Amino acid sequence: MYRMGRRLGLLMLAGLLVVMTACNSNNSTPSANGNGDAKGKTTTLKFFHRWPNEPRNSYFNYIKEEFEKQNPGVKIEMESVLNDSYKEKIKVLVSSGEIPDVFSSWSDSFAESLVSSGRVEDLTSMYKSDPNWTKTLVQNQMKSFTFDDKIYGVPFTMDGKVFFYNKKIFNKLGLEKPKTWDEFIALLDKLKASGYDTPIIEGLQDSWAVGHYLGTMNQRMMSPEVLATDYAGGTGKFTDPGYLQVLKYWQKLSSYMGPNATSVNHEATRNMFIAGKVPIHYLQFAELGYLKDKPDLEFDYFNFPQFSEGKGNAEGLTGAPEGFMISKETANKALAEKFVKFIVSPENAAKFQHDVGSMTTVIGAATKENSPPGTLEAIKLIQNAAETTPWLDNAMDASVADAYMRGGQAIAAGIETPENVIKEVQDAAAKLPAVKK
Amino acid sequence: MRTRRTIAPYLFVLPCVLMLAVFVYMPLIQNFFYSFQNVSLLSGKSSFAGFDNYRTLFSDPVVGKALINNVKYAVISLIFQVGFGLVLAAILEEEFLRKVSTVFRTIFFIPVIISITVICLLFSFVYDPTEGLLNMFLHSVGLDAWAKPWLGSGDTAIYAVIAVSQWQSIGYCMMLFIVAIQKIPRDLYEAAKIDGAGRVKIFFSITLPQVKEMIFVNSLLTITGAFMVFNEPFILTKGGGPGTSSITIAVLMYQNGFVKDSMGYAATISLLIFVITAVLALIQTLSFRTGKGD
Repeated sequence: MYRMGRRLGLLMLAGLLVVMTACNSNNSTPSANGNGDAKGKTTTLKFFHRWPNEPRNSYFNYIKEEFEKQNPGVKIEMESVLNDSYKEKIKVLVSSGEIPDVFSSWSDSFAESLVSSGRVEDLTSMYKSDPNWTKTLVQNQMKSFTFDDKIYGVPFTMDGKVFFYNKKIFNKLGLEKPKTWDEFIALLDKLKASGYDTPIIEGLQDSWAVGHYLGTMNQRMMSPEVLATDYAGGTGKFTDPGYLQVLKYWQKLSSYMGPNATSVNHEATRNMFIAGKVPIHYLQFAELGYLKDKPDLEFDYFNFPQFSEGKGNAEGLTGAPEGFMISKETANKALAEKFVKFIVSPENAAKFQHDVGSMTTVIGAATKENSPPGTLEAIKLIQNAAETTPWLDNAMDASVADAYMRGGQAIAAGIETPENVIKEVQDAAAKLPAVKK
Repeated sequence: MRTRRTIAPYLFVLPCVLMLAVFVYMPLIQNFFYSFQNVSLLSGKSSFAGFDNYRTLFSDPVVGKALINNVKYAVISLIFQVGFGLVLAAILEEEFLRKVSTVFRTIFFIPVIISITVICLLFSFVYDPTEGLLNMFLHSVGLDAWAKPWLGSGDTAIYAVIAVSQWQSIGYCMMLFIVAIQKIPRDLYEAAKIDGAGRVKIFFSITLPQVKEMIFVNSLLTITGAFMVFNEPFILTKGGGPGTSSITIAVLMYQNGFVKDSMGYAATISLLIFVITAVLALIQTLSFRTGKGD
């Protein structure tokens, strides 16, 4: 009897040991795999990106297979999750030791927060040592990944956000592109009077979509100096009356979007625009690829109209590149660089342009033949933009951006006033130095 | 020999105790210490914060809003899952439904085994303002005024989210009640019938007192569950929108930790959740006096 008990006990202990070592080995595998330079061994490169949706998913599958074919003995371990989930997951991965060798990132404050972990490789030497390659990229896009004069990322997609409109509807009603905010509102009123109950719409369930509007509106309204002080963590006060005015304008604008806007997502409303049900939609150039799905949709775009009292640059463009970063802890730095250069090579960028329909930072990748209409003009617009502003949630600390985006959503749903929301933004900004740094 | 024999039982419980210690008690204690710090997940920096996080907790208006939503969750769940769950179980155990009750039992139980993510995606289609099943149904029966942007309006969002949980979980409570009812000695029912008691009288005088224990278990499960609810608002209203109108305390904790990168404050909120659920469990255990007999 007691023998049996002892045996069982020992067995259980052994079992426990196995479980414990299994937990342990989880931590040590990546570094063990890293030393794969010896011949006959496969080298694994972990690649994590944020585009599991089509057509981008197929493109990255192609990249993975092609790179493995061209580099025998290399295995790309690719994973991807979408947008908001990616933001949360990559932060956890970077802060833990499980950082992937190559991963995608947004620009500015998002990139900066990843860099603050000290686990992101400084790529300045990668640019300096290969000037011929550096020249293939649109130069003004690098600044979004530059912190303390060091470049931490390779920008890949290039973007800008403008109002797309349905040309057929505009022509039929004899409407023209508005230049000022008042003209814009008058235009919306006219559309409404002509039977379009929702002359403009946005999927406001996605809080980032709210952020895209408020980011541009703040840029138009405020002088760049005030904006810079308020957006920087620790010095932000948001007491200028312009900020409140922006939220009031947002209240006005969102009232044209109808009562359903807060219960649908961006994809759904974009489809409404493509189907011709809604005349105006605020879209990214990166979404041009979706518009070509319906060939009889005739569209054009105009930049965000300026407020009469606006102090910001009326020609400024909101939009930021997304790109790739390399882990400082990677065992295969040279290979990781090679892989990133492979993705942003002119051939693959041209393929991306063709397959996905949205533009890249690679000069000359877009041609009239391989891109949806409007792309070349859009590229020119971005390259020559007097000023580019990053997305709201990349421009300021995440907690202030959260107050802005949730508040904007609540204003659109009619459950908050602009006055309360700006107070919440001010509170969030005031808390920053105490909570962080 | 004698001492050795006494070691064996401890060895049996050792793995369980070790696992609990490593994965439950240790994090709980660590969490307590984190709540006094400012922790940044990304830069890995942490500094002592004293009672700052607690001060924020008591001055944060969203905490109150979230707790009210959790209370709504708990009350509605008690009524529907425990209350109606019991009624449903009693009806299915009635003599005249014996033949078909297994079919109904299965139907009511199916939502329980479907993944909550799938259910939430399904209901986001049901609630769609223009093409959703619910609004289309209301329009088709002439109740146009009742059609609403269910998940997008501050008045309805939280109730729309709660409704999904009821739909999913009522089958679970029902199943537990069915098991309890089946254990009630049949002669009690026979005696009541001979005495001329009606169905309603039998339910209140026999079924209800006999399943007291199960009522306790179920209400404990639903109420603590209501204070930890996360998936439904996280998926259906994308983190408690519009604004914060359908936020729950667990979602608030998640957002502070992973979106705003203030792990210390998130730890404080999770401590609040722990205290609330622990106190509720204690109150219920004391008031029901389980295991002390009828």
